[in-house]
Amino acid sequence: MKTRFLFPYRFKIIGWILLVPSFILGLLLILSDQDIFNLEATVFALYDSGIFEPVKAFSPIRNNIVDELIAITAIVGGLLAAFSREKDEDEYISQIRLESLLWATYINYGFLIFSIVFIYGIAFYQVLLLNMLTVLLIFLIRFNFILYRTSKAYA
Amino acid sequence: MKNTLKVQRAIHNLTQEELAKKIGVSRQTINAMELSKYVPSTVLALKLARVFDQKVEDIFTLEEDD
Repeated sequence: MKTRFLFPYRFKIIGWILLVPSFILGLLLILSDQDIFNLEATVFALYDSGIFEPVKAFSPIRNNIVDELIAITAIVGGLLAAFSREKDEDEYISQIRLESLLWATYINYGFLIFSIVFIYGIAFYQVLLLNMLTVLLIFLIRFNFILYRTSKAYA
Repeated sequence: MKNTLKVQRAIHNLTQEELAKKIGVSRQTINAMELSKYVPSTVLALKLARVFDQKVEDIFTLEEDD
């Protein structure tokens, strides 16, 4: 079946290899709230609302880029794992894909509303960091669970 | 919608995997159709009919609530 907007099948495994380690590292980074290691670099900031420093815009700044690298790796990995073609991508799999995406969006915003109401302070900032990946994670879990269940179900 | 896929598959002595290969879909799709969890597109129904050398109506039939 012709499918537009999906990556080739071989990218799926690359996605998982990028996603799993970077997600674990990212989770450690968020929960420990410390720099695991330091990688200072000069980066171009469109905008930097420094907490103890003056605001900077359109200028180079020094920054520990470990968290940026982990976030980008996790997002790219997640996108590849979620939106690479299955080996035999067909109409039924497309339907599961669409349903799972709808599910993921609903549950994600459900979580977010729950967090807005019940989580306060710095913890809410941590929720937002996690929220970068929750749509993809919920999608991956639901999509792969249904595929697995359908392949095991006995007709 | 009801279907006789499983019977047809037995008559033609095909596994789900083999049937899936013949019409170019995943094995999950065959299984989902046999479990009546998925209603195939017209294209897929016609392909199945061609493999079994039957009319689509002989494989798929409407039910009361359709």
